[in-house]
Amino acid sequence: MQGLGVKAARIAIVVALFAIWEILSRTGIVNPRLLPSASDTLSMLGDLLQRASVRKDLVVTATEVLTAFALAVPFGVLIGFLIAENRYFADVAKPLLFFAFSIPKSIFLPMFILVFGVGFAQKVGFGFFSTIFIVIMSTTTAVESVKVEHLTIARSYGATQMQTAFRVYLPSMLPVLLEALRISMIFNLTGVILAEMYASRDGIGHQIATWGENFQMKQLLAGVVMIAVIAITFNELVRWVETRCSHWRT
Amino acid sequence: MQPLANITPLKPAGAIEVRNVGQIFKTTSQDVVALQDVSLDVKPGRFVVLVGPSGCGKSTLLMMMAGLRQQTSGTITISGAPILEPDPNRVGVVFQEASLFPWLTAEENVEFPLALRRVSKDERRAKAQDALKLVGLEGFGKRHPHELSGGMKQRVSIARGLVQDPPVLLMDEPFAALDEQTRMTMGDELLRIWAATGKTVVFVTHSLTEAVYLADEVIVMSPRPGRIVDHLQVSLPRPRTYEMLSGDAFGRMRDRIWQHIRKSA
Ligand SMILES: Nc1ncnc2c1ncn2[C@@H]1O[C@H](COP(=O)(O)OP(=O)(O)OP(=O)(O)O)[C@@H](O)[C@H]1O
Ligand SMILES: [Mg+2]
Repeated sequence: MQGLGVKAARIAIVVALFAIWEILSRTGIVNPRLLPSASDTLSMLGDLLQRASVRKDLVVTATEVLTAFALAVPFGVLIGFLIAENRYFADVAKPLLFFAFSIPKSIFLPMFILVFGVGFAQKVGFGFFSTIFIVIMSTTTAVESVKVEHLTIARSYGATQMQTAFRVYLPSMLPVLLEALRISMIFNLTGVILAEMYASRDGIGHQIATWGENFQMKQLLAGVVMIAVIAITFNELVRWVETRCSHWRT
Repeated sequence: MQPLANITPLKPAGAIEVRNVGQIFKTTSQDVVALQDVSLDVKPGRFVVLVGPSGCGKSTLLMMMAGLRQQTSGTITISGAPILEPDPNRVGVVFQEASLFPWLTAEENVEFPLALRRVSKDERRAKAQDALKLVGLEGFGKRHPHELSGGMKQRVSIARGLVQDPPVLLMDEPFAALDEQTRMTMGDELLRIWAATGKTVVFVTHSLTEAVYLADEVIVMSPRPGRIVDHLQVSLPRPRTYEMLSGDAFGRMRDRIWQHIRKSA
């Protein structure tokens, strides 16, 4: 349990950062054209959220992110399962996965554009590609976290395969899987927005890139704040569920 | 004890017969002969303890009795019928501490075997309560394993092993992870539960004191390939008391077991 003091300190830091931002800009210590003030940025954020075009961009990005996520997670979990449960598969595939994971995914982006063209498929494809490796690796870890003792107990009391899956595998893996889900989403979001910024006709990432190129700093910063808030919200949501089942690990 | 359906027992419920059992593990490099020609009779209601050097096949033998592993040769029957797969109506198992499900409460852990068989919620609760009461954990049902001490966790494991009222309870080093005092107390508790239920118990341990203290019979095994090298009847009266530990009879039996094990080391 965290004390109230810690929480207060945390809020104070965030408020202070915004205050410094405001002061730097207002007093002209930093050129306000480069760094519009916090209050201007936030009111711009309010403006942007009213605009139909921005909302459309958000919907586009959300659709891409969710599609990539919905494809990468089950697919990655399936592959992760096969690897974890099959000795031969594991021996062959595991080092290769580590190799693949260590390569920065962004260098493949031009190839995605060549293959898929500029559009939905390219962005979803790249989001999927950015996410799948971490899902596979986390699933392998999650399966390995299932204790042999627990499987033996289930078997000795006559559990069917389905019962073992739902009553032993799933609850054993859940804490690790939740964490994996959270981290996968970070990779996924990064992948899709990067793809949008690099080459796209719509999506919030594309908007942010355009604002940056046109030197529209207020819009740019508002966009940054917007995406940050969305990402943090999702992350915290999953983390909240995680803490509720943290003692399952012991 | 509930009557066993479907099988006509040639032997009364709870009798264990092990006949010329062998177990060979095929590994990529070589074949490991874990057990060779093991034969053993356990009469219903007896408390039998298996001892032997590490790796001699005690756990393997227990796994085969539980139907968790098939022997390479020989036969094992319990209550007169061969054990071909796990049969919770005939055999309950208790392992080391780690075997409770941490995401379930104590009573849910005890109910687990019943939940697998889709027993109604009410009946499950009632049976779990009875089992928890039997092991002295009334009122602790709502706690999760991480909120229980090591000894309490093993009581929950025992309750889970007994909840379907099988005539046989197989226990593989159930108290190995406990501290000395808790271990002594748990031994007495187990004897109390055993006396109250009349189960046949096969119990594996590395502690010779624990072996003699608990057992009607101690079975001593040789190093790999595991065979039975001695079979002692422990003639100490029951109930066993702490004072017996320092008695001559106790010491003689412990020494005899130790001689076998020392020879093999
Ligand atoms: N799945 C397996 N594959 C290969 N060898 C095995 C396997 N399981 C057990 N063995 C071997 O069989 C022998 C008996 O193992 P077992 O676990 O039954 O011994 P144990 O008497 O219970 O030992 P301990 O006292 O250390 O628990 C050991 O030498 C072990 O290495
Ligand atoms: Mg063992």
